[in-house]
Amino acid sequence: MLVSWELLKDFIDLDVSPEEAAERLTFSGSEVEGITYTAGKMKGIVAARIDSLEIHPTERKYYIAQLDTGTGRHICITSATNMKAGDMVFYAGEGSTLPDGTVMGTRDFHGVESYGMMLSAEELGLHDVDDPSGLLILPKDAQPGDDAKNLYHIGDVILDVSITPNRGDLLSLIGMARELKGLYPKSLLKSPEWLRPLKQDKAWSEDFGTISLPDKGCYCYRLGLATGAKIGQSPLTAKIDLAHLGMRPITNAVDVTNYVMLMLGQPLHAFDLNTLPAREITVRAAHDGETMMTLDGKDRVLTERDMLITSGGEAVALAGVMGGEQTGINDDTSTIVIESACFSPVRVGHTSRRLGINSEAAFRFSRTVDPNLSSSALMAATTLMRDWCGATVDYKPLSAENEIYTPKPVKLTRRKLCTILSWDNMTEATEILEGFGIKHVEGEGDERTFLPPTCRPDIAIEEDLIEEVGRFRGYNDTPDKLPGELPRRADIGASMRLAGFIRQAMMARGYTEIVTYSFLPEDFPEKLRIPGDDIRSKTLTIANPISRDQMAMRTTLLPGLLSGLKAALASGRREPVRAFEQGKVFLKDDEHEHLEPEHVGALLYNGKDTRSASNDRAEGFYDLKADVCALIQARGYSPEFREGRQPFTHAGQTADILVEGKNIGWIARLKPAIEQELDAEGVYAFEIDISGLYDVKRNEFVPASQFPASYRDISLLVPADRSNDDVMKDIRASVAGSLALESLRLFDVYEGKGIPEGFRSLAYTLSYRSHERTLKDEEVEAVHNSVRESLKEKGYVIR
Amino acid sequence: MESLNAITALQELDELRVKYTGKKGELTLLLRSLGKLPKELRKDAGQELNTLRDEIESKLEQTGRKIRDDENERQEKAQRIDVTLPAKGRTAGAFHPVMQTMHDIANIMQGLGYSVASGPEKEEEFYNFECLNMPSWHPARDMQDTFYFPDGTLLRTHTSPVQIRAMLQYGAPLRIVCPGKVYRRDNDPTHSPMFNQMEGLLVDKDVPFSVMKGTMTEMMNAFFGRSLKSRFRASYFPFTEPSMELDIECVECSGHDEHCRVCHGTGWLEVAGMGMVHPNVIRAGKIDPDKYNGFAFGIGLDRMAMLKYGISDLRLLFDGSVSYLLSGLGGEN
Repeated sequence: MLVSWELLKDFIDLDVSPEEAAERLTFSGSEVEGITYTAGKMKGIVAARIDSLEIHPTERKYYIAQLDTGTGRHICITSATNMKAGDMVFYAGEGSTLPDGTVMGTRDFHGVESYGMMLSAEELGLHDVDDPSGLLILPKDAQPGDDAKNLYHIGDVILDVSITPNRGDLLSLIGMARELKGLYPKSLLKSPEWLRPLKQDKAWSEDFGTISLPDKGCYCYRLGLATGAKIGQSPLTAKIDLAHLGMRPITNAVDVTNYVMLMLGQPLHAFDLNTLPAREITVRAAHDGETMMTLDGKDRVLTERDMLITSGGEAVALAGVMGGEQTGINDDTSTIVIESACFSPVRVGHTSRRLGINSEAAFRFSRTVDPNLSSSALMAATTLMRDWCGATVDYKPLSAENEIYTPKPVKLTRRKLCTILSWDNMTEATEILEGFGIKHVEGEGDERTFLPPTCRPDIAIEEDLIEEVGRFRGYNDTPDKLPGELPRRADIGASMRLAGFIRQAMMARGYTEIVTYSFLPEDFPEKLRIPGDDIRSKTLTIANPISRDQMAMRTTLLPGLLSGLKAALASGRREPVRAFEQGKVFLKDDEHEHLEPEHVGALLYNGKDTRSASNDRAEGFYDLKADVCALIQARGYSPEFREGRQPFTHAGQTADILVEGKNIGWIARLKPAIEQELDAEGVYAFEIDISGLYDVKRNEFVPASQFPASYRDISLLVPADRSNDDVMKDIRASVAGSLALESLRLFDVYEGKGIPEGFRSLAYTLSYRSHERTLKDEEVEAVHNSVRESLKEKGYVIR
Repeated sequence: MESLNAITALQELDELRVKYTGKKGELTLLLRSLGKLPKELRKDAGQELNTLRDEIESKLEQTGRKIRDDENERQEKAQRIDVTLPAKGRTAGAFHPVMQTMHDIANIMQGLGYSVASGPEKEEEFYNFECLNMPSWHPARDMQDTFYFPDGTLLRTHTSPVQIRAMLQYGAPLRIVCPGKVYRRDNDPTHSPMFNQMEGLLVDKDVPFSVMKGTMTEMMNAFFGRSLKSRFRASYFPFTEPSMELDIECVECSGHDEHCRVCHGTGWLEVAGMGMVHPNVIRAGKIDPDKYNGFAFGIGLDRMAMLKYGISDLRLLFDGSVSYLLSGLGGEN
């Protein structure tokens, strides 16, 4: 919220600079995000009287003015046409500086020298205050020679204060003054002239029926009457104030309602009495499905949580949120009805949030407006209708009330004060609370009762009182302490521990850690060719996405990894790309239960430029397989790989990854068609669900044998479609008798010359070893021979 | 003996050995001829000759070793390689700054006795808002624009719902942190629709604000690796009372540069929000607020990472670009 330092002076005598007050506000909970000096670099601009005006001798579009600045006479030329002799204007003479830093000089207008210039409102840095094409004509009270900075609040200091949602009471100048009074106890609150009580006892000159409030969400509803108003411009100072506070001046009658709202915090609405459908007001709940057109021209569909202000059965405003189209003030209005009401923050909050209308009124009502404010604000508004619009306003307001919120007393105990703030001076605490307008009503000792003012419904429990004391005193002098005895051993947890292990392992193996968005374009399953019966195609979709590209929750980490690859390629990277990501995917299982399993995925791509001094750039499936094995083996498990299929991977280069017989993911080369889309050849990836790897499997300790191993090789002719895994199983199953096979290792795969079509040669080395003794050649030979025989029986050809 | 020093080849050495100590060598012959000497001279001469033979043999041995060593060295030098050729295989990977920050802070907090707790990213309105004093009409909701799913659930807007889940699961006393992804409907240079937070919660008996203050200061100092000035400002969160925000001294300029691109000349950086847990929230966690109180804090992990590693655009963190993360590392393989 914008706070004018000049206007603040109408409400409080404060002996500090705006900068100092800003710092104090920031530390006590209302952060001042910026300070604007509205005069900018303005220097030497003064009020001047136009003594005479004549048309330029050769250029008819210019006027030559003789100006009196009190200390001298100046010739100044303008193309504006809205002035006349005797008018007061602002004059930026030779050597003066405009707010934007422009330094004035003299200028030749076709043979006539102009010394500086006369200014429009825009040139003074005042936007929306006056016609930008004409000069700003000053009221008659200005004296030649007066510095512009000191007139009409032109040289103001504006604080941009961030008001937290609990402090609706600070959304006004008077509220800020009360807060500053609390923060600076020696300061004095005061009242501007227009806030003084006004005698209003006359009956209305116009007929008006009743105000009825069947909806209890309207706490009170008051109407004031102003007759004989002349719609026009507001006083210059008021227009400048409004502009400084971020509101466009419109007409005097509308400005009054805005001004009073900014000063006091009470949203007001001005109707033209003659455009009201009937001379009665009813505030009721809307009907489900009822519609109305709001001031912004939009048709709104309502629910029974919304409140309507109706007249003669016709909706004229969405209560507390926005007015209707027809009843506003127009240039011919003369009889004005001003509404000052109070609505439930819950109801207004619901309506404004649901409809996305964040009007000034809704913003304030949803943060709570003091229900006791409506009368005084109405009186102030009618006073200003008199002052600014020349209206007659001594009519007694019409009022209707429901139950109004009353503050409840709150207790403060020395014990809790001391526990939280490590400070317990109850006397000082009481003074601080009183300073904020929170009345000490009972108790003198360690337990005291306080009554918050009606503008502070945020004070409801003891902690709220302690916060007032804490923020007044500041938190920085409290000593730093660390917590005492541990309730239990601190545990980083299985999930975080595993995540930490995986990232270290993957980084050590040359992969870069990436993090990508959890939401993806809606059509990502289609792009990956994932069919409709695959769990990964059943995405959880955001109902209100920012864009269609961030709409469907990921069911696989692959798109993120690919976006990393795309980004790398787009940046012109020619080197290899190795990336991994860990994170949740979002799945719906068969029972439509939502699941968020933790996955890890990695991508391996050799890069566009595979030239290398050491010829080690060409990596592929088996390199990536080594990385998967390393991850899983480090958790104590032996992974198994089975030929598999994934919709987005190479039909001949894909495996399922199994741990303890359970399928935990896949490893593959991507489909060449997808590689082509990426313009990258040879992209390998894996993705696994890591939930089975949280705990390291406990394996039995096996000491190394003290006795040497005996090695024998065997070379088999195998049909090309028979997997190494199957062959190894057959070899293992062929070892019988007393000797154990210690290890079995494939050391050569050969197809081509000398091998029949449709076959390949697989060569293994077998090691036999005993834990008890050195094996004799003959017994090893005997066992190995039986292995050979057994393999022959299984149909293998031994080479 | 002089002739030994001049020898450079093993062959010459062998010739010398044959000449003196070989089967027919001069010394061997002399030793054999000892028997011919008179008995009284034999002993002394024998001793002298044996000493001489030992001396020659040891000298021959030494010289031989030196010659072999020299020869090996010559061969090794011929096998010289260029040690500055690139390493074979892969270069090391790189960490993601935010993930590194997440693990670093979790470790720091473990040192202060906090365990890691977790919760779902697809969350219920109840845990994300209602339990935290933020009913649907509440204006504080304006600060957290939310992504919803058609069934009314949402993507958690903060890690705070884990406060409730942890209290319900573990009861009091309690010390937890919860790092993780959170989501808000924002997208501009300073906001990403997905970002990372770490929630902290301590519940115990008679917990003072000073412990929260000490904890936060300690965490920041440990994370940035030096003692930083810090300051606490009063603030507001619906789920804490009183509430504060923590500013730390600018890690870039320590307040000495009025044009600093990190703190914009203020000298301070806002890094965390916190407060004493609101009694309603303790109650929602099924803990008696008359017996227990506590504090909670939330840190923006992305912001911490950006400050520590000098990153200026939040959105660069989540586009998956590897090159960006690699820059600064030596290798490019």
